[in-house]
Amino acid sequence: MNTGQYISGAGHIGLIGWLLLGGAFAPAPEPFEVTEVSVISTEEFETMLAAERPPETATDVSVPPAPEVPQDQPAPPAPQAEPDRPQPEAAEAPPPPDPRPDVSQLAPPPAEVTDQPPVLAPPPPETAVLAPAVSDRPRPRPAPRVAPQPVAAPEPDVKVDEVKREEAVTEAPAETPREEQQATAPEEATTEIVTEATEEPAAPATSIRPKTRPARSEPAAEAKPETKTTAKPKPDADTTTRRDAVKDALAEALAGAASEPAAAPSGPPLTSGEKDALRVAVQNCWNVGSLSSDALRTTVVVAVSLSEDGHPVGGSVRMVSASGGTTEATRQAFEAARRAIIRCGASGFSLPKDKYTQWRDIEMTFNPEKMRIK
Amino acid sequence: MMTRFLTLLAACVALTLPVAAHAGPLRIEITEGVIEPLPFAVPNFVPESSAAAKTAADIARVVAEDLSGTGLFREIPSGAFISQITSFSSPVQFADWKAINAQALITGAVSVQAGGRLVIKFRVYDVFAGQELGTGLQFAGTQEGWRRMAHKVADAVYSRITGEGGYFDSRVVFVSETGPKDKRRKRLAIMDYDGANVQFLTDSSSIVLAPRFSPTGDRILYTSYETGFPKIYVLDVASVGRRVLESQAGTMSFAPRFGPDGRTVVYSLTEGGNTDIYRMDITTGQSQRLTSAPSIETAPSFNPDGNRVVFESDRSGTQQLYVMSATGGEPQRISFGQGRYGTPVWSPRGDLIAFTKQNKGRFHIGVMRADGSEERLLTASFLDEGPTWSPNGRVIMFTRETQGAGGQSSLYSVDISGRNLKRVRTEGGASDPAWSPLQN
Repeated sequence: MNTGQYISGAGHIGLIGWLLLGGAFAPAPEPFEVTEVSVISTEEFETMLAAERPPETATDVSVPPAPEVPQDQPAPPAPQAEPDRPQPEAAEAPPPPDPRPDVSQLAPPPAEVTDQPPVLAPPPPETAVLAPAVSDRPRPRPAPRVAPQPVAAPEPDVKVDEVKREEAVTEAPAETPREEQQATAPEEATTEIVTEATEEPAAPATSIRPKTRPARSEPAAEAKPETKTTAKPKPDADTTTRRDAVKDALAEALAGAASEPAAAPSGPPLTSGEKDALRVAVQNCWNVGSLSSDALRTTVVVAVSLSEDGHPVGGSVRMVSASGGTTEATRQAFEAARRAIIRCGASGFSLPKDKYTQWRDIEMTFNPEKMRIK
Repeated sequence: MMTRFLTLLAACVALTLPVAAHAGPLRIEITEGVIEPLPFAVPNFVPESSAAAKTAADIARVVAEDLSGTGLFREIPSGAFISQITSFSSPVQFADWKAINAQALITGAVSVQAGGRLVIKFRVYDVFAGQELGTGLQFAGTQEGWRRMAHKVADAVYSRITGEGGYFDSRVVFVSETGPKDKRRKRLAIMDYDGANVQFLTDSSSIVLAPRFSPTGDRILYTSYETGFPKIYVLDVASVGRRVLESQAGTMSFAPRFGPDGRTVVYSLTEGGNTDIYRMDITTGQSQRLTSAPSIETAPSFNPDGNRVVFESDRSGTQQLYVMSATGGEPQRISFGQGRYGTPVWSPRGDLIAFTKQNKGRFHIGVMRADGSEERLLTASFLDEGPTWSPNGRVIMFTRETQGAGGQSSLYSVDISGRNLKRVRTEGGASDPAWSPLQN
């Protein structure tokens, strides 16, 4: 028991001694920096923050107001003369603010292969000049018209038309008089909308090095024997006859089959080429540029009857069905389709007259799906 | 042998054809058309009184300029006209207008009635169809309001041909800039959408930024440094009266925008070095914090339904676009392209979001769907920023600043297809445009 007390006593004495004398063995404290600080007022703090604001802010608010110059009051007594002290410059008066707005009117008014190895010619002197980073040469904007097929810009004197026609001028009397007509060509067009962001930069990405001078050709030693090319065998007459026979037989069969009902289309059907020609003719006039987004989601089926000369019969253009849009959008889509048929049909669609019964009545489906984003 | 085969083949075809022959009319499908301005003609409106002669010609000019300015229409010069419109009620000689390829014809008459009231009536014709588009319409108003009435006529014509609303009878509030770049003086100004009738709303004694129209166009939110700190103000357009909206001491508030209900406002507030998005009911002054990230969240914009908000944030490390509920919650990132995205604005139609993009040292104005898909860049320049939508969601106006110490800010507009990029006429520098809704 006493042992425990001795141990406890010694421990406590040791701890008290360390606490009292321990500081003498402790390392010297680390040096530290002392910075003088000053207490600033709220106004001074706001002034400091104001200096960190964007430069625009400083532009107007940092200009001090002009000192007021009392006029009527008597001049204050002159202080004691201090000739060596420079006179302070007069503060610049702030620019007068623009006049207050007139509020009286503000009410709302109602995008050779050869067997000879190439001979390396000595490089010509460096003549390349690197293209500037940005070319100042103006680049013409792409054509504003967007069409299925790109069209080059027509000659300046050529009249824009859907159909390309050569100029016809009656210079000398001919056996068959020709009607004079002005040269026409389709309007310049591109195949897709090119925005400013997708346009190619005006400056070339890489400079084109001058081409090395071509190696002087050595005199030919011997003329090579001519190599005969085997011409493609032309179809013999028999084959042609057979094809014609098939065509005739098919046409006869078609005609025979279709002649029975009076109102039904008769004669051979239109070939795919003839159909394509009709489709191209109409699509060149189908302008969807002014259609609303809703109308560009509307497919309309439009029926039209054509006269034998290929012109739309007046009043025969009618809507058969529509899908995908509101009533208003359907109306817009139909009107655009009707304009296309009437406009391009004004000069008569080029269709084979012997197949008139096949194309007398047509149903055209106008599907603008591909036209939404070009 | 061969002959037999051919005969057999013909017989087979003949057997199958009757069905085809009875298939009805010829059917073709047209899937590709052209995109070009629709040619139209606007003869001078007929003055039905001598006092209306000049106004009649002026109105026809404004209507023609409005339509041509869209890039969707092309005016046929009057010199090409074969026939003239001398009476509003006389029948139209469609053949004469077809001959000059006028696809739409707009006729009108103007009269000044007793009491000085100006009356404009007009009709729109589909020339090739030989019929009227819709029925005739008439507007009446004061003689001083002739220009606005002309815009209304153009809106009606635009709507009848395209099937969507117009945007001509609308106004634009912007920051008018004068003086050199390092000492620029800014003041709020308002003008017609085409740059006419400019009027100033504030003086240039303090910096003003980012004005935004209310859904009814009668109030404007903007940020001013009038007190030294950016604070949001709301200004009544008619009276030019204004009041501070957010005035918490020691905070900076900016980038405000109205919600579709006209009483809710979303904005950014910086407090203790952190910028977050808040919403406020301006009738009660009650505000609610919508984001609480240590990153910078700003430029909030409501969708037309008012239930979602698009904004920009650098929480991913770069400035990107996010969409969240209008009452807060976890935002969803919608921009994943290269570069930095900012200043998103929801289209009035709700289908698209316009934004500013900075990539490879160039600035772009672009559009993307609300889910971030189908991103398309419409412009590219040294500095394009701050898009705003036309009331019909078809055109975007924005600020373009030229390079160099003498660089100046101007307003530009572009169709959402990327076509018809053009400068908006303003006197002096202009920035931060905000398009109003259509006026009543």
